[in-house]
Amino acid sequence: MSVEDDPATTERETAEEEAAGDAGAAASATPKLRAENVTKQFGRIVAVDDVTLDVRPGEIFALVGDNGAGKSTLMNVLSGVHAPTEGQLYKDGEPVQFSNPSDARAKGIETVYQDLALMDDLDIATNIFMGSFPKRGVGPLRVIDWNATYERSRAIMREQLGREMDIQTEVEFLSGGQRQLVAIGRALAFDPDVIILDEPTSALSVDATRLVQNTLDRLAEEGITIVIVSHNIESVLEHADRIGVLYQGSLVDIMAPSETDLEELNELMTTGTLETGLLDD
Amino acid sequence: MSTEQGFLSRTFGDSDDLALTLLDNMIWPILAVVILGVLVFVPQTFRSIQLILWGAVPIGLLVLAESLCLLSGHFDLSIGSIAGFSAMFTGMLLGTCPSCWGVTTSPWVGFGVILLTGSLIGLVNGVMIAKVGLNPFLQTLAFLIVFEGAKTAMQTQPVTGLPSLYVRVGGTPNLAIGVMLVAFLVFGLVLRYTSFGQAVYALGSSEVSAREVGIDTERLVIVIYTISGLLAAIAGLMLTGFVGVVPPLIGEGLVFQAFAGAVIGGISLFGGRGKITGALGGVILIQLVQSALNNSPAIGATQIQMINGLVLLGAILLYNTQTKLRSRILASGAT
Repeated sequence: MSVEDDPATTERETAEEEAAGDAGAAASATPKLRAENVTKQFGRIVAVDDVTLDVRPGEIFALVGDNGAGKSTLMNVLSGVHAPTEGQLYKDGEPVQFSNPSDARAKGIETVYQDLALMDDLDIATNIFMGSFPKRGVGPLRVIDWNATYERSRAIMREQLGREMDIQTEVEFLSGGQRQLVAIGRALAFDPDVIILDEPTSALSVDATRLVQNTLDRLAEEGITIVIVSHNIESVLEHADRIGVLYQGSLVDIMAPSETDLEELNELMTTGTLETGLLDD
Repeated sequence: MSTEQGFLSRTFGDSDDLALTLLDNMIWPILAVVILGVLVFVPQTFRSIQLILWGAVPIGLLVLAESLCLLSGHFDLSIGSIAGFSAMFTGMLLGTCPSCWGVTTSPWVGFGVILLTGSLIGLVNGVMIAKVGLNPFLQTLAFLIVFEGAKTAMQTQPVTGLPSLYVRVGGTPNLAIGVMLVAFLVFGLVLRYTSFGQAVYALGSSEVSAREVGIDTERLVIVIYTISGLLAAIAGLMLTGFVGVVPPLIGEGLVFQAFAGAVIGGISLFGGRGKITGALGGVILIQLVQSALNNSPAIGATQIQMINGLVLLGAILLYNTQTKLRSRILASGAT
């Protein structure tokens, strides 16, 4: 099912754009990221079924759904972990093909996995620049420039994430929220314009959740497009610009938080439709 | 903007910070105590410091090989066997003893063959672990047995008549010590200043995370075991030079000393943590204990192996204590 073409969804989006004021301008811009009729199958199992969605520049787009709804698979397709079985991805209007996360990275798309992919024994700066260390030297005799690594790590933490931290602290010493920030910091080290985050606030305390949410708001304000895969519906309602609901591999609706509520989202996530019949095919 | 400057010291307090630093560098106070003990009880050990260091060269190279594997979260039980087999195989090609093959007398061919043999065995170790998915313990244990057996099957007598240049590399004390120190220096710099070195630490800290940040972990594991095999082969060359012949028992039992040296030197058994300078301290400590045992009138030659086992046990107990203390400090600082 293609929600972008669904009349009910279009009606909702029109209302959302009118209500949001400047959202109409954002909608008319070339999508930062577009999945067009994307299907992903694993053998006979269809994990993502004919999904079409646009992610607009500088917005926080949340993908929600019950377990097995296909949101992680769709995230993995967008981030290059899985190639789509069918369909096409677009970045800034250009068709793109990702055969691995490095391809997505080369196009400015970074992913923060749920497990954060941090190395506990290593310090913050090393974690941030693992795989992309600043180097100095000539030709093949290029070595890691630790001064630049520390300086740039400090700058990312301070200027982009708003935290002043001792970047030589080993990650095992950090709290959950701080670990999440380091993982986001690593994404920022590659200077992306899209960051995809898998469950960024799961297993975090209330304070840590707020810290991460505020950081994502801040990054979106700076123009970085954020795609969140989340179970935390309350957080999504509070911070996302738009919410896409997946049910059994299909995208059943895209809506603005002002257009829905917790109860309705839960119903959509668990049944794929609403009792009102508004979204029934 | 929130401020978390001096996070570590503020969170854990200066005493805990100091304790963690001491834990990470415990080799140096331990080495100081051992030196003091040897000075008091077996002072004749220090008659020739050059001899102690020369004797430390083969075990030093094996500690380096083991440290590399341990830092990456793996380990290699076969390094002693690789050292022994490579040395014996090359010795059989070069030697002029009656049962030797005597294929060539060129020391340069000998250098190439011994290094290639060790590297190839290491490469196979790496491929079996990374690509086939075998458990590192079982794979390297199998190769320990295979190559120790192959060495015995080839020759049970000392291999003599080796080219003088071939023997001289490990047989010249200052040259041999230089090779070991350069190897430590190179690996210390590589681990600190190259992406490869940092990837080794990343792999040891979390293989899954390393893969997720784009490190080709399979290839890295293969490279690590290949280098481990190469270092073991150099250790075999040095052992040959130290003795002047290839003795039939060459390399046997050295893996346990290599483990002890690496662990006492602060290399984590679970990977991701440790410094090459600490491993060098571990080498000196292990060799000092060995020399003291050899020089002690109270210790017979038949008792040395038992004491080596106790040293290994001591190293593991020390590591265990260090790990518990570290966890306790971290837990006390958790908020």
